[in-house]
Amino acid sequence: MNDNLGNWNEDLVRELASKQARDSKKPQDNKRSLKGFPVWSWVWYLLGALYFILPLYATFTFSLEMKRDTLSFLAYEKAFADKEFWHTFGYSNLVALLTILVSALLSIPTAYWIRLRLPQARRIVEFITLLPFVVPAIILVFGLIRIYSSSFNIPFTDIALIPPLTNFRAGTTVLLVAGYTVLALPYMYRSVDTGMRTIDVATLTEAAQSLGADWKTIMLRVIFPNLRSALLSGALLTFAIVVGEVTIASFLGVPAFGPYLFLLGQHRAYEPAALSFTSFLLTWMAMGLIQLVTGGQGQTTGAH
Amino acid sequence: MAYLTLSGISKQFGDTVVVEDFNLDIEKGEFVSFLGPSGCGKTTTLRMVAGFEIPTSGKIILGGNDITDQAPNQRNVGMIFQAYALFPNMTVSQNIGFGLSIRKEPEVAIKERVQEMVSLIGLEKHANKYPYQLSGGQQQRVALARALANRPQVLLLDEPLSALDAKIRVSLRAEIRAIQKRLGITAIFVTHDQEEALSISDRIVIMNEGRAEQVGTPFEIYNFPKTQFAANFVGSLNNAGAEVIDPANGILSMDGVHFKTADTEMANRRRGDKIRISIRPERFSFAVEPLKDNVVDCTIENITFLGSVVRIQVKIGTTKFNMDTFNNPFLELPAVGAKEKVMCSKEAVLVLESA
Repeated sequence: MNDNLGNWNEDLVRELASKQARDSKKPQDNKRSLKGFPVWSWVWYLLGALYFILPLYATFTFSLEMKRDTLSFLAYEKAFADKEFWHTFGYSNLVALLTILVSALLSIPTAYWIRLRLPQARRIVEFITLLPFVVPAIILVFGLIRIYSSSFNIPFTDIALIPPLTNFRAGTTVLLVAGYTVLALPYMYRSVDTGMRTIDVATLTEAAQSLGADWKTIMLRVIFPNLRSALLSGALLTFAIVVGEVTIASFLGVPAFGPYLFLLGQHRAYEPAALSFTSFLLTWMAMGLIQLVTGGQGQTTGAH
Repeated sequence: MAYLTLSGISKQFGDTVVVEDFNLDIEKGEFVSFLGPSGCGKTTTLRMVAGFEIPTSGKIILGGNDITDQAPNQRNVGMIFQAYALFPNMTVSQNIGFGLSIRKEPEVAIKERVQEMVSLIGLEKHANKYPYQLSGGQQQRVALARALANRPQVLLLDEPLSALDAKIRVSLRAEIRAIQKRLGITAIFVTHDQEEALSISDRIVIMNEGRAEQVGTPFEIYNFPKTQFAANFVGSLNNAGAEVIDPANGILSMDGVHFKTADTEMANRRRGDKIRISIRPERFSFAVEPLKDNVVDCTIENITFLGSVVRIQVKIGTTKFNMDTFNNPFLELPAVGAKEKVMCSKEAVLVLESA
């Protein structure tokens, strides 16, 4: 009995001592956290920021120096005055819109079907959507040209089912959109798929079904509206890729913005800098737009 | 003929049999719970009634119509999910009115019905809020209103309370039951929580490994379980092996300690048959006059204080039993190690299966 009591006392003393130690440490901890300003984190953060900002700053100041000894927006004026600029920029925007449409129409039903009925196919499809990172665009464009530069006939006849697509503008535009759809897949498919995960489409679909909704209604009134922000971020990323793309566009010989900017860069000094900086601004505005729209959606998912 | 009939329902996924020969008749306005551990097939059975799964064999008849192969959107059933499944892009009112707008009901009728439903669940102030602005309990109430707005023939609830915290769970379950009674709607409620099933249901179906083990009122299920599984799953239970001594008088022996049982099957057994007996902890009490059928010697092994109940572990023969007694401040508890006498009635001694 005595022994037990002794042990018990010892335990108590030890516990009190450790409590005191903890208590006395507390103010020190406070001091340390004040002193412990994360210097190194900030150093690395600033270095990283400089890595991005310095070239941008250099481009910007350079674009202002077209007139000797003074800063002006002359380069911008000249660049925007070029008809070719508006022509190619317009064409690229059109192609971007088409690409967004096609890739969304491809990604949404695919991602939806895989979530609902074919979860075992998920890995394969994800692998396919990542292929553009592995297979360079140049391979893709040569493949397209190789196959579609001759007409596709009905077997054993001379009747052309598909004429050689590379021979006319509408045809090359189709090829271009097809190629860009492949390039956009990693971004579009993934944002759609993530969007579907956050809203739990399977259960929402069942809820809508039990309320009497058919597939069309479910798609239009439940799935699409809830994927809006996911679609928007996918669309803006696609847009950024398509408008700046050079390889596929130049090999297909279309009047796109990427090749135009590339050519301009070889012949002029200041205008390309002006246009580069402008396209940077556009991209940033797009990013800001994503933040704005998904900011509201983030709350929705947070409450689940 | 019953309002909703499930006859000979089976469901297989590949080689796995999830539900096997499930039969049940549900009357109009009845509240039936499917109770069982996870993987027992209760949710699959519910989903077959909803139309999300098609039975491998068997028939589902609702209100005289065979709905076995009907698509979910052709059946008039309301479904409530564990994850609420409200449409995030719609307000409370729009969620509730969704089903009605699909039926192309006139704008005015929808508005009226939505208002009625919103006040039924007491969320008038939140009618224009979005789901993410509501608490879990409120969201589930909206889901209930949404399911009821269509005037479904049967309401299906798939573990609707499992995602909520304890207090809300108890109050919402009372609310669901009150609304169900008021509207006289037929409901099937899936749960793995025995207390939930006991408190809310007209009848309970105890499910195990795809089969209905027992169907009965909560009172029957708790007091007269038919199988070992049903008895063990609902409430707590003492189990022990025993041997039949005198079949005619219901006498059996457990480690030499004699017990008397009221089990009706005893007469069909023979002396020396090995059986298992089960006794609920609260059926034991310390032996005081008037004495009951079984009075046995025991040793106090352990005492656990559980709040309203005190659980005392006693050793009868060589077997340990739990005994529950209500707590009160004047309770004189025996010391651990003390020799006592406990008693129970012969009805308390259940014979559920042969050993």
